Amino acid sequence: MSSNSPEKLRVLLVEENPGDVFLLREMVNEEAGSRFQVVAETGRLDQALGYLAANEVDVVLLDLALTDSRGLETFTAAHQAAPEVPIIVLSGVDDEDLALQTVQLGALEYLVKGRIDSHLLHRALRYAMERARGEAQLAHERGLFNTLLENIPDRIYFKDQRSRFIRINHALTKLLGLKKPEEAYGKTDADFYGAEHAQAAREDEIHVMQTGEALLGKVEFETLIGGGRSWSLTTKLPLRNRQGRIIGTCGISREVTAMKEMEDQLATERNLLRAVIDNLPDHIFLKDAEGRYLLDNVAHLRSVGATTSADVRGRTVFDFFPEEIARTFHDDDMAIIRSAQALINHEEQRTNTNGNQRWVLTSKIPWLDESGLAVGLVCISRDISEQKLAEEHLKQANADLKARREDLMAAVKDLQEAHQQLRDVQLQLIEAEKMKSIGRLAAGVAHEVKNPLAILQMGLEFLNTVPTTDETTPVILKEMSDALTRADGVIRGLLDFSSPKQLEVKRASLNVIINQALRLVRGEMKGCTIHRELQADIPPLALDTDKISQVFVNLLTNALHAMHGGGTLTVRTYAKQLTGVGANIGDKRSESFRVGETIVVAEIDDTGPGVPDDTIGKIFEPFYTTKPTGKGTGLGLSVVRTIVDLHGATIDLRNLAEGGARVTLMFQV
Amino acid sequence: MDKKRIFIVDDESGFTRLLKLTLERTGQYVVLEENDGTGAWLKARDFKPDIIFLDIVMPRIDGGDVAQQIRSDPLLAHVPIIFLTAIVSRTETKTDIGGFPFLSKPVSLDAINRCIAEHLGTGESV
Repeated sequence: MSSNSPEKLRVLLVEENPGDVFLLREMVNEEAGSRFQVVAETGRLDQALGYLAANEVDVVLLDLALTDSRGLETFTAAHQAAPEVPIIVLSGVDDEDLALQTVQLGALEYLVKGRIDSHLLHRALRYAMERARGEAQLAHERGLFNTLLENIPDRIYFKDQRSRFIRINHALTKLLGLKKPEEAYGKTDADFYGAEHAQAAREDEIHVMQTGEALLGKVEFETLIGGGRSWSLTTKLPLRNRQGRIIGTCGISREVTAMKEMEDQLATERNLLRAVIDNLPDHIFLKDAEGRYLLDNVAHLRSVGATTSADVRGRTVFDFFPEEIARTFHDDDMAIIRSAQALINHEEQRTNTNGNQRWVLTSKIPWLDESGLAVGLVCISRDISEQKLAEEHLKQANADLKARREDLMAAVKDLQEAHQQLRDVQLQLIEAEKMKSIGRLAAGVAHEVKNPLAILQMGLEFLNTVPTTDETTPVILKEMSDALTRADGVIRGLLDFSSPKQLEVKRASLNVIINQALRLVRGEMKGCTIHRELQADIPPLALDTDKISQVFVNLLTNALHAMHGGGTLTVRTYAKQLTGVGANIGDKRSESFRVGETIVVAEIDDTGPGVPDDTIGKIFEPFYTTKPTGKGTGLGLSVVRTIVDLHGATIDLRNLAEGGARVTLMFQV
Repeated sequence: MDKKRIFIVDDESGFTRLLKLTLERTGQYVVLEENDGTGAWLKARDFKPDIIFLDIVMPRIDGGDVAQQIRSDPLLAHVPIIFLTAIVSRTETKTDIGGFPFLSKPVSLDAINRCIAEHLGTGESV
């Protein structure tokens, strides 16, 4: 033993009787190898208490009968002054019962004076020390336990087999709205919580007690009768006695409302996001760096023929598409991940899992981790086949519209042209009507003017028969006669202009008429060369020379105008015997000419631009003119045709292969 | 030689008067002028002309009708009738109008003399 340890246990000896003091001191100090030493002695309680207050003492030997205190009060006072210090009560033989009471109040031992020996005393001292140490440890542990229990924000309770509280901690006391934990003791959850929770808790506790199994981390919704409501995370354990028998339950629960709310919020958000992506018609998926699907939406699921996300998660395109197509998709995805470059709104034609060709609009965005490294990709793709189709339709519709518009424009152009033609015809009709009016006017005027002219004429005739005496009168009469003739000429011209005509036919030479006509159009010949190829011996024809002259003047003028003052005009006449109906003779008139007949042909060739093909058929129609309104009446060539028809001749106009136009006239001999 | 009797029917009295004066001045003709076509036929019956110059356009009666009346009268059927009219121009000369020869106004004395000579077969006596 370490009896020679310098550190001895300090004993306070509180004893009134000096003999006992002496004896006890000797027994404490002198025992061989004693670990105890009396460090102070006193016969008064107040002194003992003073000492205890000022000094540390390991054990107190306390006589209950002191100068200033007696009996139980002595012990109570001392014990209160130093509750942690073990006290051994010393009693006389006659008050052993009293000593026993002190033990019940906390004294460790009592010794009966007079029966104490050194060995007994030491054993009592050692025992007291041991017990004191044990109790101190216990108190310490209880302190720790209480500290834990009372400071932890989690709620802790202990319940008996009928789920009645037998101990609750501060947090729970507070939660239940109590001032002291004791107020809960003997009550059950039903006294504090809503029936639903109380019932569930009771069932859980019964289960724990019956099975001996802990209920771990259950999340419960609690409704307090007082109105509080919260989420808690609860663990319940069986409560066993020292024999291991289950005598109740204990539990700890933590308020997790905030966490639960956050969790709910997260779940809500997750569900919302899920709802968003699942309700989108676009295909959305997330892949890891190896091309395995991590997440996708319903549209994508369906597109690959899967029914649940689990069918797709962790798999790759190779599980859903033919090797060749899958390879393309995979390579594209890997390129996005490698380059970390997003592909936005890329239109591409794809073969879906059914083998149909579809147009899709795809965006692939690399999924970057915090360090900026691509760890996968997000893809959203939309089937735009319908739009494409609509686009095609629209394009077609636009093209159709354009074509229709062009048709419309062409129609409008035709209309405009027709309108212009109508307007021209109208102007020509007005012109013709004017001519007719002038004709009627001319006839009326002629008649009214001719009668006075006749009187004047006759007057002059009479005067001419009267012999004159001077030289002037005959001159005056001559002037008057000339003026009268001139006036008559004007009237006649006016009548010729408009009156219905009949031919005044006589045998005449076409060549003579042509030469006269050429002389008349001299003024129009500027810059043109004239070739005459007139056959000298052509037979004379039955002609109205004035009219035929008018025809040639008209035709020659037109030919000269067509050359715009530069070119060669060829006029040709010849006689020939018809051997067949030639191309120059129209069907209508072919009956006028018989094979074997001799005819006289006149041709006028010019080197102008010729006549447009669309015009050539109409050129002899009345009112047709290629000249602007006002420059030509459109009557010229129709009058020509009328005159030619009246002669039983034909007229024809055609373009020459070498350029220019030819007018051919054929006369019966 | 008897003077030829010339009957002139024309509503233009100025013209008939001057024509009468001019013709009678030659001393070869006796001229009766009539300015109302409707009375022409009866006047002609009385006058018994050798030749009749007849206007066509007259107020109440057309020269053509007058010609028909006269031609229908046996007493006058042989008398040559020459239309003397302003309604045709000389260039449109036809040989006749409705079977009658005609002269176009204004007309020269010369033309009238030639016409009379032609139809009455008398030589020029001026």
